[in-house]
Amino acid sequence: MIYFTELDHLPVYAVKGEYLGRLEDLCVAPAQNSLRVASYLVKSPKKALICITHDQMQSLSVRAGQTSVPRDEVRCYAPDEGLLKVKKDILDQQIIDVNNRKVVRVNDVDFDIRPTDHHAELRIVAVNVGMAAAIRRLLQGLLAKHTIRMLTSSIPTKTIPWEFVNLIESDPQRRVKLRLSYDRVAQLHPADIADILEELSRDEQKAVIEGLDDETAAQALSEIPTRMQADLLESIPAQKAADIVEEMPPDEAADVLHELSPETSAEVLSDMAKDEANEVRELLGFEENTAGALMTTEYVFVHESAAVEGAIAALRNFEGAIESIHVIYLVDNDAVLTGAVPVGRIILSQASLPLSDIAMDSLISVPSHASLASVVDLFHKYNLISLPVVDDKRHLIGVVTADDVLELVITRRQFRSRG
Amino acid sequence: MNRERLRRYRTSLLIFLAVLGPGIITANVDNDAGGIYTYSLAGAKFGFTLLWTLIPITVALVVVQEIVARMGVVTGKGLADLIREEYGFRTTFILMMMLLAADLGNTVAEFAGLASGMSVFGVTRYIAVPLGAVLVWALVVKGTYRLVEKVFLAACVFYVAYPVSCFLAHPKWPDAVINTLKPSFAFSGSYLYMLIGVVGTTIAPWMQFYLQAAVVEKGIKVKEYIYSRWDVIVGCIVTDVVAFFIIVACAATIYLSGHRQINDAGDAAMALRPLAGHAASALFAFGLCNASLFSACILPLATAYYVCEGLGLEAGIDKRFHEAPTFYWLYTSLIAVGALAVMVLSESKQIPIILFSQVANGVLLPFVLIFMLHLVNREDLMGKHKNSRLFNYIAWVTCAVMIALTLLLVVSTFFPDKLPA
Repeated sequence: MIYFTELDHLPVYAVKGEYLGRLEDLCVAPAQNSLRVASYLVKSPKKALICITHDQMQSLSVRAGQTSVPRDEVRCYAPDEGLLKVKKDILDQQIIDVNNRKVVRVNDVDFDIRPTDHHAELRIVAVNVGMAAAIRRLLQGLLAKHTIRMLTSSIPTKTIPWEFVNLIESDPQRRVKLRLSYDRVAQLHPADIADILEELSRDEQKAVIEGLDDETAAQALSEIPTRMQADLLESIPAQKAADIVEEMPPDEAADVLHELSPETSAEVLSDMAKDEANEVRELLGFEENTAGALMTTEYVFVHESAAVEGAIAALRNFEGAIESIHVIYLVDNDAVLTGAVPVGRIILSQASLPLSDIAMDSLISVPSHASLASVVDLFHKYNLISLPVVDDKRHLIGVVTADDVLELVITRRQFRSRG
Repeated sequence: MNRERLRRYRTSLLIFLAVLGPGIITANVDNDAGGIYTYSLAGAKFGFTLLWTLIPITVALVVVQEIVARMGVVTGKGLADLIREEYGFRTTFILMMMLLAADLGNTVAEFAGLASGMSVFGVTRYIAVPLGAVLVWALVVKGTYRLVEKVFLAACVFYVAYPVSCFLAHPKWPDAVINTLKPSFAFSGSYLYMLIGVVGTTIAPWMQFYLQAAVVEKGIKVKEYIYSRWDVIVGCIVTDVVAFFIIVACAATIYLSGHRQINDAGDAAMALRPLAGHAASALFAFGLCNASLFSACILPLATAYYVCEGLGLEAGIDKRFHEAPTFYWLYTSLIAVGALAVMVLSESKQIPIILFSQVANGVLLPFVLIFMLHLVNREDLMGKHKNSRLFNYIAWVTCAVMIALTLLLVVSTFFPDKLPA
């Protein structure tokens, strides 16, 4: 194991032992091999940058690097966006630790040297974020390398294996060249992705969001504060924003569109699929801080005359979010709300049983203009998990779900004191 | 059409109020216990003759603060983050440790200011200081970001105590105004020392870190930056208007009375009592207590924040204790040590600590300003928001003057008798 701190400024020699310069940076070419150091950048005494390829590095130690190139055959470094530079792109930068679902700053990078047919091969093993690495950085160049090793040996180190490291690159073209993907981030829980997003600056957030599939991006976005969502959506192309908003539950989508500037909001709406856009437009029409603004338009309903099997068919065809299927609503021919059946009762009943037989005894609903406080009161009083919202003629127009109420209560409390 | 325009004005005003905060708060903390003492002394010893410096000081303050606010909005990163990414771990670490030392000294000065302000009301420091420390600590640890910011903005409003106190002192307004607009100069050592003192207390290294972090924390968008700029400008002007009233109040009373030596800001409040009445004195002391408490809160907070940020540790008042332990421990110990020092040490023994922090500030300022100007000119970081060439000239000249004066202040702290008499 060798640390970047120990390789930094290492003297490098040509084949006959002539001094070439000091090691300036290490480059990895992710397009070919994501672990191997592909080339060594050496700064000559005349400040020119020399590039030594990996098969030219004969041996490498904490004392020196010996190459197999003759002095007059060394090549100058030609800038290449597809190369990942250890010092410039990794050291001191923020990275995502996919395993611990956190954003951390890199103190040092750990390598492994292994002799491979006639040359030394250097491989990235891990990034170091611990105290020992910090002390190594502080003492680098001031004390002998083995003294530093001795001093830091008893300090616990904290490393993140390279396969769990996700770099953040805000330039989309360079992301492609570096083969940077956020697939592993996408596999995290949306709430964890949201926590990671909140730690990043706007450009970095943009980079991560653009690298996620629309559905994951939508789920993660739903978990961050609405204002930050709006910021992010405004900074990415309207088409991508529309794709993401389409995947969000309509109530969340309406909330974030409400935060966007009127122009961006209109642009996003016009880029969305028609059905989704219309649902969101409807919600945008409700006054803020009313049941109408809080509700979602994704819910399951069947005609009051349907039987249990009809309800199960409706559930299977439902494409909305899973939190909206705890209760199935019954409506009459005019779409007037007439009953509510908990999914639990449906599962436990005979397929042929009419739903009206197993409907809840008392039907609790709320008009769309009701205040948020009265919605919260109803949830509290009747221990609800969802609450149907009706218009003046008692037509069913939406449902408020418990998760939205919980979030409402918690953010309100955080406003007042610490949550 | 008019209604449309009115609506647009109203929207602008609302955005301004939403963006408002970081600039005004930072600038006001600048008028902390040390600042108030310096301005009181300037008025008491030299009357109106130093008032003219306030206009160039305001300009310098706006220039420097505007740069960091802009960097915060455009990059979305704190200054300590940017320095770490550009200059590496060791530079950042050394910078952070020196800032920590400087700010510890500053915190001691704030609690000393609180003690001296409360003594005017007959409250002993053994009650005032621990009470103040607990209050300040609890506000940040138990409050949310929004609550804290509201309390801070309210504290800014209490600076109105100074203008009122100043009106009660019945100064000669025409003289004051003329001296503000017309530069004058006296080649005496003590005048020069005072001049350097007034300028030197204006731009402290920690302010740049705090302002940029606050702008980032607030999540101000590039589109809203224009409002953020006004936040900075208004803040700087308000701050120096307060400074103006402090100098005028002391000039109109203490300077004219002939007994011109005051040893701390509380002294100035005491001296106002026979000259301008009980109300003016009480208001002056109240202003001092408010300013000291306010700064005793923000300074340790800012310090804990940027030290953690630079070293890559979790920070932020919306995090819980176990999520950001270093942050909270740093904040807590800065307050505890600062408050204890004022209670345990006699006043003469506090002076070396405060002098040391002044020196540390002075040594650090050049680095912070130069790093800052270097960063704001980086194309890859700032894009089209980097400094224009003209603005760069202004900024470099401003920073050069600030650096020179601050270093002079450091030197003169050690050798007050070496200045030309």
